[in-house]
Amino acid sequence: MSLQEFWDYLVLGVMLGSLYAVIAIGYTLVYGVLQLINFAHSEVFMLGAYGSLIVLQLVNPGDNPTALASIGFVALAMAGSALFGGVTAYGLEKVAYRPLRRRGAPRLIFLITAIGASFFLYNLAGKLFGRDPLPLPEMYQNREIFSIFGAGVNITQMLQFATAVVMMIALDLLVNRTKLGKGIRAVAQDAEVAGLMGVNIDKVISRTFIVGGVLGGVAGFLFANLNQVSYTMGFIPGITAFAAAVVGGIGNIRGAMFGGILIGIVETMTVPLLGDEWRAVSAMVVLILVLMFRPMGILGERVGRAA
Amino acid sequence: MLNKTIVKLAIPLAVGALALTGCGSDSGSDGAVKIAFQGPLSGDNVALGENMQNGVKLAIQQANAKGDLDFELEYVAGDDQGLPDKATAAAQKIIDDEGVVAVVGPAFSGPTNTSSPLYAESGLVTVSPSATNPLLTDKENGFTSFLRGVPNDNMQGAGMATYYAKKLQAKKVYLIDDKTDYGVGLATVAEKGLKDAGIEVVKKSVPQKTPDYSATAKDVVNSKADALIYAGYYQDLAPFAKKLKDAGYKGAGISGDGSNDAKFVELAGDASENWFLTCPCTDATVEAGTKKFAEDYQKEFGRAPGTYSAEAYDITNMIIEEVKKSGADVEREALRDALAKASYKGLTKTFEFGENGEFKGTDVYLYQVKGGKIGYQGNINELAG
Repeated sequence: MSLQEFWDYLVLGVMLGSLYAVIAIGYTLVYGVLQLINFAHSEVFMLGAYGSLIVLQLVNPGDNPTALASIGFVALAMAGSALFGGVTAYGLEKVAYRPLRRRGAPRLIFLITAIGASFFLYNLAGKLFGRDPLPLPEMYQNREIFSIFGAGVNITQMLQFATAVVMMIALDLLVNRTKLGKGIRAVAQDAEVAGLMGVNIDKVISRTFIVGGVLGGVAGFLFANLNQVSYTMGFIPGITAFAAAVVGGIGNIRGAMFGGILIGIVETMTVPLLGDEWRAVSAMVVLILVLMFRPMGILGERVGRAA
Repeated sequence: MLNKTIVKLAIPLAVGALALTGCGSDSGSDGAVKIAFQGPLSGDNVALGENMQNGVKLAIQQANAKGDLDFELEYVAGDDQGLPDKATAAAQKIIDDEGVVAVVGPAFSGPTNTSSPLYAESGLVTVSPSATNPLLTDKENGFTSFLRGVPNDNMQGAGMATYYAKKLQAKKVYLIDDKTDYGVGLATVAEKGLKDAGIEVVKKSVPQKTPDYSATAKDVVNSKADALIYAGYYQDLAPFAKKLKDAGYKGAGISGDGSNDAKFVELAGDASENWFLTCPCTDATVEAGTKKFAEDYQKEFGRAPGTYSAEAYDITNMIIEEVKKSGADVEREALRDALAKASYKGLTKTFEFGENGEFKGTDVYLYQVKGGKIGYQGNINELAG
């Protein structure tokens, strides 16, 4: 691999990794406050993509929109995906997890419920929106805008990366600087004591789900913008992002960002070095190695303590 | 507390399950002669399955409407989602329906491979309009009920190789399979053809449902290949084609009948422009012999016939023709033997089967995406010159 190729793949890896990071945050946030692995998060991601598709079909960008209109369409699509993602995550918490929490069900039941909810949602989406993959209408003319170390970056990639970074910074600020963030951290550290101190645990938990859902939904839109929308699109990125969250240290937000980008780079670098067949293998090798030598993950601490 | 809840839930569930199995098993024959179709009617490549299903339905409808049959024909759907592991259940459902005398399909090579032993055992004949993996008619498999109504991938792969070597004079070809039975089979033949023609080949496997094709696209560009062959289905080719465009790939691209569907163009948009697609199928809307069929199809389903629609229609008519000879109480084995020996001139081509049910005939056709439409070019060997 030449130096130029190295930069090419590194840039691609960071782009893909930033998306994994945003999805991984959804897993980590929920794990942080509930110690629950929300396997239905991949469906939040998928439904987010459908949200943007529905909005775009309503407004219909048509051919060759002006630059200003393009920005508007992207913003609308993003809002649609955020809304769908947030509502789905909120609904999940309300319907699937809250009743279990009320009854003090053991962890295992939560996990099975999550998997069941995931199956239910993706089959429901297949039923509602059809089993055929659908293209996202084109919102702008994709072209190369600049290059980093000779590696070209086009509008789609820039949009993907910039959105991911903005969302991650916003989330970091939210968790560390706001009252809701303080609540999230308090519940993560010790839900019972937080409750005694006057934190409304239910409210904090459902808002945490909404925040994770909004991020996941927008990631779904960005992903669909790269490829296409389909009801099965959530599974593979979902599992990969979950692995990324564990690599970074599940429950730790910065860990999820770090893990996501790491997994993205490893997967992408595998393609020229070993071939496409190995990309999923290499991501899981990273996971296994991390778990062998540092079972709590690379940055391994929970939301409550990391900040 | 939890245990009680489980018990409370488990009892009605168990009762319900028993009740379901009770009424599921006695669907037996009700006098009608049924023709089944097995293929993807849900799942990722549903468009390819629906193309064929509509062809089968149209043939049955027209035969019933004609009124010269002394029995009623009925259609039975077998959905295998195009997946090998779902195919045995779909096949079993069809086999258990005693009214079914013949099956059009299975549509894809992988599902054919897993469901054919079941059909062989039950003596129910399957005539596939589209499963092209060469190994399916291998004697060692013992698929005694499988007939192929289409030239296999040896022809298609060889056609791609010839076209690249002679017409485009490619120097280096990047060859990708999608790790399915279909993709690997097609790629292997194409590789052999290209190497025989002295072309350098970079062969890679990219599994289906890869979440992001950017890195692969970059790899294609970096390899300096001037042509690309993708052996797989449209669902994966579409995002890949987009990424190739983004990565600045300027060379030629060719894919097989798994991508030859309007869906490919719809999903990939501009990025599909100039892609070559091969298919052992003709374009029903262009060929003179199928014009009438294309009109009927358009009227019935509100869209133009797609890949293999006309072939599925022909095969269904061929089956109906054979059933007519022996009447409504036709036996499965007898029909299988009759079809294996039959020669039927359909709208698209003449259906005749050689040893092990292999199709006699070798024609492969070339298409190219132009102006957002899949344009019919003609017989690939004639075009390559």
